[in-house]
Amino acid sequence: MIIAERKPLEEIRGMIAGYKKILVAGCGTCVTICWAGGEKEVGILSSQLRLASSGEGTELSIVEACIERQCEKEMVEELRDKVQDVEAIVSMACGIGVQTIADVFEEKPVFPALNTTFMGMPEAEGVWTEKCRSCGDCMLYWTGGICPVVRCAKGLLNGPCGGTRKGGSCEIDPEKDCAWVLIYRRLEKQGRLDLMRKYYEPKNYRAVKRPGKIEALKA
Amino acid sequence: MIRGNNKIVAFCCENSAYLAADKAGRMRLHYPDNVRIIRVPCVGRVDLIHILKAFEKGAAGVLLIGCHEGACQHLTGNTRAKERAAYARNLLKEVGIDEARLRMANIAPDMAQQFVREIEDMTEKTKER
Amino acid sequence: MQIRIGVFLCDCGKSLSNIDFPKVSERAEKLQDVVHVGLHSNLCLKEGIEEMLSTIRDGAIDRVVIAACSPKLKEDAFRNALEEAGLNSNFLSLANIREQCSWAHEGDVTEKALELTAMAVERARFLKPLVKKDVPVNKEVLVVGGGFAGMKVALDLANLGLRTTLVERGLALGGRLEGFETNPAVPINSMRKAIEENRDIEVLTSAELTRGEGEVGDFSIRIKKGDEELSRSFGAIIFATGYRPEISPGDFQLRPGVNLISQEKLTEILKAPERLELRPKTIGFVLDVSDENCRLPTLSALNDALAVKERLGSEVYVFCKSLKVDSEGVEEVYREARDRGVVFVKFEERPRICSEDGRVKVELNDILLGDEITVFCDFLVAEERIMPSEGTEALSSILKMRIDSRGFCQDENVHLYPVSCERKGIFCVGACRGDLDIARASTDVASAVLSTYELLAPGTAIVEAERVKVDPEKCRVCLTCIRVCPHGAIRLVRVDTEREVAQISDLACEGCGICAAICPAKAIDFEGYGDEQILAEVQAIGESL
Repeated sequence: MIIAERKPLEEIRGMIAGYKKILVAGCGTCVTICWAGGEKEVGILSSQLRLASSGEGTELSIVEACIERQCEKEMVEELRDKVQDVEAIVSMACGIGVQTIADVFEEKPVFPALNTTFMGMPEAEGVWTEKCRSCGDCMLYWTGGICPVVRCAKGLLNGPCGGTRKGGSCEIDPEKDCAWVLIYRRLEKQGRLDLMRKYYEPKNYRAVKRPGKIEALKA
Repeated sequence: MIRGNNKIVAFCCENSAYLAADKAGRMRLHYPDNVRIIRVPCVGRVDLIHILKAFEKGAAGVLLIGCHEGACQHLTGNTRAKERAAYARNLLKEVGIDEARLRMANIAPDMAQQFVREIEDMTEKTKER
Repeated sequence: MQIRIGVFLCDCGKSLSNIDFPKVSERAEKLQDVVHVGLHSNLCLKEGIEEMLSTIRDGAIDRVVIAACSPKLKEDAFRNALEEAGLNSNFLSLANIREQCSWAHEGDVTEKALELTAMAVERARFLKPLVKKDVPVNKEVLVVGGGFAGMKVALDLANLGLRTTLVERGLALGGRLEGFETNPAVPINSMRKAIEENRDIEVLTSAELTRGEGEVGDFSIRIKKGDEELSRSFGAIIFATGYRPEISPGDFQLRPGVNLISQEKLTEILKAPERLELRPKTIGFVLDVSDENCRLPTLSALNDALAVKERLGSEVYVFCKSLKVDSEGVEEVYREARDRGVVFVKFEERPRICSEDGRVKVELNDILLGDEITVFCDFLVAEERIMPSEGTEALSSILKMRIDSRGFCQDENVHLYPVSCERKGIFCVGACRGDLDIARASTDVASAVLSTYELLAPGTAIVEAERVKVDPEKCRVCLTCIRVCPHGAIRLVRVDTEREVAQISDLACEGCGICAAICPAKAIDFEGYGDEQILAEVQAIGESL
């Protein structure tokens, strides 16, 4: 799932400086689940912006909204009435949502309240870790379902660097497990250790033409 | 210093703080009358927006009062409230509101004096000078 | 549709003299949607309620605000009154203008009383009706563990007409007390026979739980017995998994071996003393080294000490920090042991125990003598640490129960004592609670049987339908509420071929609102304490009235 985090309030206030009437729009999908930009966070950000303005004595009027998914033009259209009356839009969606709003309402400045950071897997309540970097050439078959591109600090594709610390932690970041130790153990459990002998060629980072595009509807 | 009223909004858990407040009344332990108690089933029910709106409405201070650690009838309510309050303090800091204006306290249902002390302390701390 | 709010002020027999009621009344009338403000002196009495009810009926009032004494006193009575007037009992909003206003402050508190009333009025706007509903509950009970407590609870429940299924991991029922001489005596054999003969008790031995889903009234359990996997439904579960004794060799700095023996080994020896090569001259018991909290080692040691005196005639020493004789009958045993010549040695600092010349040497500082003493024993019976039964953790996971810091299954939470669990409908009895005391186990059983009977016997339970509700349209299926609910009251249900959403069990929900606060999609509505309602109260504070 896409993970994003809210920018510091100062940065957001800097963007909207001078605007007196804004729309704060949340998204009900990924950013709701990671507590970054859903209806709750729209409420919290709006409340903070009002408190900050009234503390300074500046004028600021906020319209709050949250739609199901900000990356769908049809859903973004639902905001049209609210957008008419405001000077600028603060989007609390991921980068895709921000750009969708910007495309639909070209005349209005759109500001991102979040930084989109990674694709993550939930590890524990409220905790997500990056698991995939969308390299476009998935090698999880060879590594027992553990991605060395993301989880090895050096991105090695053919086994550990030799600097693994005692206890199996990474040479560069001792807080992390050495990905290749994890891969070894996983393949061992599956009885597929022979895969560690296979030589994996340097990754083709051009497997996906950037910016990526697919036409998935065949018929 | 925010402009506003001098009210203290106290979110009181009905298993502890609300009962302590009632007891304080029965004992005629007089305390400042600027406090407004909002009853909640568990202090873990209180959300960030409730706290922020209280400040938006001009409250001088906000209290979250629940059961002692380990004595929450709902096990984790008071711990969650504590963490939420800590996060809320950061949000308040971002808008220039003194962190001391938000406090999480733990008391037992019969601790009337302790309840009164919390109100008195917060009132004192947040008095407009 | 226009709502019609009726405000009823009570001056508590005209005693709340620091509130100017006419002023409050006058200002309250001006609040939006308020169609009536009445001043009463005794709303809690029959006449007061009658007056209020007739006003409600005559004025077609559909939301009732009462500003009076603490809700903790009269809320239920007022709710019932509303029902009598034909109004849903949830259309009630209370302001505490007595304990938390008039009595709490010096001087005039009219402004505060008015504001508290206004807060209650604003909240009343957002109240929705709550309907009481009967939900069916499964009357069958699952008992996990076939030891003394498990067997007793099954028998007692069956005697009250509730069918139980008793699941035991081992080959037979009986548990650890089988073959033990206990005080009070526990008739394991006759209990087992009674269970076999009772047609309302199903016994599954060599069986284990593999999956547990659902909530009180409707638990779905999978039990593996041999090659079969059985699926069953139960209304309540009683956890009686017992304990296991364990010697912690680390505590003694001496490997358990020929001379440092366990209580089990001593029992073996005592059964057939002629098998020993040499009659032991001295036998020592050591307590309070591994576990200072438990009572059972004390009782066992005393009983064993007497048995040794009787059957082996050896010298017996008991080394201890303190003797816990606070269970029924234990002090008597202690006196008997002393009378028979058992020597009790009290230490403060841990004794030094080592092997010398094939015997166990115990050196310690005798508190009462005030001197160092050394005793050589042929056998030293080591105190065992009392641990939860193997597999308790896994089982508790299956049933989504918490275990405490020692691994026993009673949260160290005073609200749950004696036998409740944070999950409604699950009870813990006996040694699995970490307390080894047969008399206490019996009272645990009695408590659990009573609670279970109360819960299940009627066959239905009354709930307030959907008091806390997940909106299936807004639910993101992030599973947060399911993971976070301290009472395990939420599960995933299928709403159509493609979607699953979270659903809260009305019966298992304890109304804490933790889920409502944490739901990232604000999909959970808690009637009475919903966001709208709480924010309405907050907004009313500081409004100029």
